[in-house]
Amino acid sequence: MHEVFEHTADLGLRVTAASLPALLAEAAEGLFEIIAGDLAQIRARTSRTFTIAGSDPVYLLLDWLGELHAAFEIERLLFREFDVTVHARGLTATARGEPYDPAIHTLAHEIKAITQHALDVRQTPSGWQATLIVDI
Amino acid sequence: MTDSTASERSFTGPLERVDGCCYRIPRSYKAGMLVDGLIFADERLIGQLRADRAPEQVANVAFLPGIQTASLAMPDIHWGYGFCIGGVCATDPAAGGVVSPGGVGYDINCGVRLVRTSLTLADIQPILVPLVDQMIRDIPVGVGQGGNRIFSPAELRVLMQEGVPYLRGRGLATDDDVACTEAEGCIADALPELVSDRALARGNDQCGTVGAGNHFIEVQVVDRVEDPRAAAALGLEQGRICVLIHSGSRGLGYQVCDDALRALRDAPAKYGLTLPDRQLVCAPVESPEGRHYLGAMRAAANYAFCNRQLLMWQVREVFERVLKKPWHALGMELVYDVAHNIAKIERHRVGDGHKDVCVHRKGATRAFPAGHHDIPDRYRAIGQPVIIPGDMGRASWVLVGGPRSMERSFGTTCHGAGRCLSRTAATRAAKGRNIRDELSRSGVIARSRSHEGLAEEQPLAYKDVDVVVDIVHRAGLSTKVARLKPLGVIKG
Repeated sequence: MHEVFEHTADLGLRVTAASLPALLAEAAEGLFEIIAGDLAQIRARTSRTFTIAGSDPVYLLLDWLGELHAAFEIERLLFREFDVTVHARGLTATARGEPYDPAIHTLAHEIKAITQHALDVRQTPSGWQATLIVDI
Repeated sequence: MTDSTASERSFTGPLERVDGCCYRIPRSYKAGMLVDGLIFADERLIGQLRADRAPEQVANVAFLPGIQTASLAMPDIHWGYGFCIGGVCATDPAAGGVVSPGGVGYDINCGVRLVRTSLTLADIQPILVPLVDQMIRDIPVGVGQGGNRIFSPAELRVLMQEGVPYLRGRGLATDDDVACTEAEGCIADALPELVSDRALARGNDQCGTVGAGNHFIEVQVVDRVEDPRAAAALGLEQGRICVLIHSGSRGLGYQVCDDALRALRDAPAKYGLTLPDRQLVCAPVESPEGRHYLGAMRAAANYAFCNRQLLMWQVREVFERVLKKPWHALGMELVYDVAHNIAKIERHRVGDGHKDVCVHRKGATRAFPAGHHDIPDRYRAIGQPVIIPGDMGRASWVLVGGPRSMERSFGTTCHGAGRCLSRTAATRAAKGRNIRDELSRSGVIARSRSHEGLAEEQPLAYKDVDVVVDIVHRAGLSTKVARLKPLGVIKG
């Protein structure tokens, strides 16, 4: 589950999931909902594999979202589906989506970056949760 | 979308009244604060001041090693990331003072420029709608909109080294444009070779694009002149049409900041820093990491000056197309361009002596007083021009650096009205309303690429800029010259 929460200048994203891989996938959905609004407008026509090194869940989340954000910024790729595997050396993930096409897609926000302010990833009795703020 | 509770967002710590326009967060508030926090505000803003976490961020900045005098915030203060928006912090490199990328922000050298024209309200009103429509057609604005000029990596590196004078060499800027830009459009000691390939890839087609968020281009009219002498020096008079441009370093600058934050992940351990927020990560100015960041930041700042220059050039072209006269004949001269997200090494009086300090301005504008050597000759007698965008419904302001800015705020003033509604709250408040029609009924032609752009940036999302400007005026940080009213705006 993910939800956008209030922040005066920017937008916050709160994510909960049963496992760390599910949390990372859920956060990615939240990221593209902020960028594009409705994920239903994005078709899963192409896929991209990402590999992120590291073991700290905070930086895994930050770097994973950073890579996805860069793929949109540089290659105009919009994603809607995410399979994430976490292993001892980091994460491997596949994201599916399609290139942005102004004739098909509407965009909602320009994200400048995923900030580290109040960035938090933690394990809870019921799973995992993350909080982050994106700069708009 | 959900709300966090008001108590989670509000500040309940001490705010002691210093005088009629300043409040103090005493150093005793939190163990680790090296100096007091000082917030320029008055009783009209105190309720809003407590409504979010911005004062806590002022206190957090007071932890930064080498901080001088106080952690400062301007009256347009609101909750940011790391630093508050409206935050000012000067550190002393000779005393281990740090530079923090979070004290500049992702949008390095976000800033504003004001262009005057020889047109009057009567000239512009009959063609205002086609003019604004032409602007949004011809000038790239909004998410995913690339620019009309693409720069190769090699060209970008020269552009980042030379700033606006590089564009002058390509026939896209005049001598006056260069002279009327802060630092003459080129901050020295930029190190473009330290800007990453990813940053170059994000920036190669974005120089000359507005972007989204709170960025915009606005046609305005001078509504009221408060200081006729200064207004005359700036070429402003009541009824005169101007254009205000607000944008920054686009994806290139955002990536430079992101790269720096990544490179500094180990800095707290390496330099023994204890910080209350990960986003405040920093390194001594006089360290390899500090020098690296400052060099790349200056390169991104020069890119931002060029971005606003190319936006202004496109505005001139649109006016030429619609009014069928060369822009020179329309008197479209740059009044001034000023950064409001930047870190600079400047000489300031601290205690009984003078020091070279690293002044971070995060949503705050340099405001040097009359006579300062860094002000262009043509404006030195009146003080450095300061341009304060308000909201798209009410007003913006032109001020000049005030007599007390050096002693009170390291030569700094506010940068805008400051948000008072979150983006989610503004969106909720826009439900069932047509912001574009509302603005049109109040005489403002608004064009936006997205529904979110107008909803989140509607006038009610911002504090009253007249109040904010009144406080910096009374505090002596900058003084009022002219108030401008919006007529037409394009946004992302």
